[in-house]
Amino acid sequence: MEKVDCIVVGGGLAGLSAAYGLASEGLEVILIERGDYAGAKNVTGGRLYVSPIRDMYPELWEAAPFERPVTREFITLLNSGNATTIEFASDKFAAQPYQSYTVLRATLDLWLSEQVMEKGGMVITNQRVDELLMEDGKVIGIRAGEDEIGADMTIVAEGVLGLVSTKAGLRQKPSWKDHAVGFKETIELPQEVIESRWHLSPGQGAAHLFMGEVTKGMLGGGFLYTNKSSISFGIVLGMKDAKERADKIDVYTLLDDFKAHPHVAPLVAGGELLEYSAHVISEAGYAGIPQLYGDGYLLAGDTAGLALNQLYTVRGMDFAVASGYYAAKATLEAKQQGDLSAAGPMYEKMMRDTWVIKDLETAQHIPHFIENPRIFTHYPQSVGRIFERLFTLTSDPTEGIYHKVMGSVKQDFVNAKTVKELMGVRKI
Amino acid sequence: MKIIVPVKTNPDLQMIRIKNREPILEAVPYKVGDLDKNSVEAALQLQAAVGDTQVVALTIAEGNRKIKDTMKEVLAMGADEAYILSDDALTAADQAGKALALAKAIEKIGGADLIVFAEGSTDNYSGQMGPRVAELLALPEIGYAKKLTVADGKLTAERGMGDLIEVLESSLPAVVTVTSEINEPRIPTLMNIMKAGKKPTTEWTLGDVGLDAAAVAPQKAVLSNLAEEQQRKNVMIEGSAEEQCAALIDALIKDGVLEA
Ligand SMILES: Cc1cc2nc3c(=O)[nH]c(=O)nc-3n(C[C@H](O)[C@H](O)[C@H](O)COP(=O)(O)OP(=O)(O)OC[C@H]3O[C@@H](n4cnc5c(N)ncnc54)[C@H](O)[C@@H]3O)c2cc1C
Repeated sequence: MEKVDCIVVGGGLAGLSAAYGLASEGLEVILIERGDYAGAKNVTGGRLYVSPIRDMYPELWEAAPFERPVTREFITLLNSGNATTIEFASDKFAAQPYQSYTVLRATLDLWLSEQVMEKGGMVITNQRVDELLMEDGKVIGIRAGEDEIGADMTIVAEGVLGLVSTKAGLRQKPSWKDHAVGFKETIELPQEVIESRWHLSPGQGAAHLFMGEVTKGMLGGGFLYTNKSSISFGIVLGMKDAKERADKIDVYTLLDDFKAHPHVAPLVAGGELLEYSAHVISEAGYAGIPQLYGDGYLLAGDTAGLALNQLYTVRGMDFAVASGYYAAKATLEAKQQGDLSAAGPMYEKMMRDTWVIKDLETAQHIPHFIENPRIFTHYPQSVGRIFERLFTLTSDPTEGIYHKVMGSVKQDFVNAKTVKELMGVRKI
Repeated sequence: MKIIVPVKTNPDLQMIRIKNREPILEAVPYKVGDLDKNSVEAALQLQAAVGDTQVVALTIAEGNRKIKDTMKEVLAMGADEAYILSDDALTAADQAGKALALAKAIEKIGGADLIVFAEGSTDNYSGQMGPRVAELLALPEIGYAKKLTVADGKLTAERGMGDLIEVLESSLPAVVTVTSEINEPRIPTLMNIMKAGKKPTTEWTLGDVGLDAAAVAPQKAVLSNLAEEQQRKNVMIEGSAEEQCAALIDALIKDGVLEA
């Protein structure tokens, strides 16, 4: 059996990041990706937080083909009769170094795979890893079709479903209840149109989140990220809600309904559909992290459950890059010490000592918190009612501003249920 | 025996979008043409059948900056060696210029017993390279073969001619072009992809094969290559789904598409 130092399964951000780190230090690494090229099948919403990962591979982030730095944030509470949008712009976000960028994975992942090859790593595409080769509980390599290749270390970064690692017993079969499904359209729009619709200076970008009517009360929300000359537009939907309500709500028309919503339609008007995609996201958070390593292997990225839905933002790409980085780092350090079995514990420690696992831990109550459907119905509607009353003027004598606002607040927020829920907010 | 397979790499046709009747080629990756994979496969099958045969792939870069990577696919399929002729002048060259460049490269490689082309390129499909190169090298040529055998120093090729099959025999060396029905190209295995990186690849410029930009300068200019614009009927059928179906069926019967 042919043997190499390291095999990386999967050419997403986690796998590419691991392979890049290993190849940079001269290890013989092959990355195996089942798509036509790295990024061909990869789906994300669209926003990569670079600030947490800037010090890992700084040379990459300076040169990477990002779409636009996010300098403006929009959150829209969407109801059937009104919409409240918060627009936030900050000089801090509009200045270098930018903290986050919109990305298109087909471009970014492909570019990263070229950087891996520049460093001497081998990226093999169009090949699916069928299983991990095990010997006495140790992962000793992979099988793809008829071919078997051995490795001292196998880094499994095969994405959220983790079929290969699950089959090998390295993690439990994930429950669909802990997952959300995201579907999105990439819609072409001229650069100037994007910049005028989201009030952007040339080259700068916006992140626009939607809550409420988007998911018809189901757990989830809508997102819209501005790329150079397209927008990534989609919905993330909790699978549990989607399944439970499937008889009453046509899930497959959600995206069209969202697009056609009178307060959303003008944002996407005139765009040409470039691509449609769908993908699963783990919502399990901290509780969903499996054992990160074992004999001969490390798990990274979505395979290691490293994704975070914070409602106003989904994070997973920064976790993927960081876990790939630490997987490479731990492997290299262990190799230097002449004991590869030290890599696993070292990897876990690096992940626990840094923001990677800490951020997931901090956010551990979010999954439970957002199970409350009122977040997607009552609250957006309440806010809409406050503003509707505030901005309403009729031929009747008008109320004072205080009465207008407080009337709504009392009605919608000062009741036992809401107060209890708002107390719960302290946990997140 | 030595077999040379000239192949063309073209932008991945599935990734091309058309806008304002122009293909958008920016950021579209290059691939070895689908039809060219049939010619590579044909050469590999002959290699297996005849034994002691070397299969050499040859290509012109034609704007593909990453051609070395692209050509690995051919090496991963099983070709033993690759030659790449890159030159900016070749991007603008027409079929005559490209055929000349290929012929000169084949001479520089030292010729071959058999040169296997695809019936045409997967993108432009002019189908001229085989016959032109044969003419330039003064070799016999058989076009559109759907079966090839080499035995006793002779090439036998079958061509489908509608209702009948024509069987032709040629001395070697010869040039042959093959159709897509000749075989099902193999998909490279992981092991072979790994080995491909270590196979020899030689890169030449026009000067290396004794040519210059003037020698391959286009003798004709393409003014337009748009497809015929078709006038659509633009019939809109309204109503409920049932009504629409009924109206659609009526309309199709009226147009003679369906029988009443
Ligand atoms: C709709 C949606 C919106 C999101 N929005 C954001 C966002 O805005 N910001 C953010 O940071 N994160 C976001 N995420 C999460 C983020 O996209 C993921 O966390 C991230 O892509 C994980 O990277 P990865 O490398 O672990 O996995 P992936 O990107 O899924 O890569 C896995 C790779 O492995 C390959 N593979 C799988 N099995 C095999 C096999 N057997 N053999 C060979 N190759 C294999 C796949 O083809 C793929 O290339 C979003 C996710 C979704 C679905």
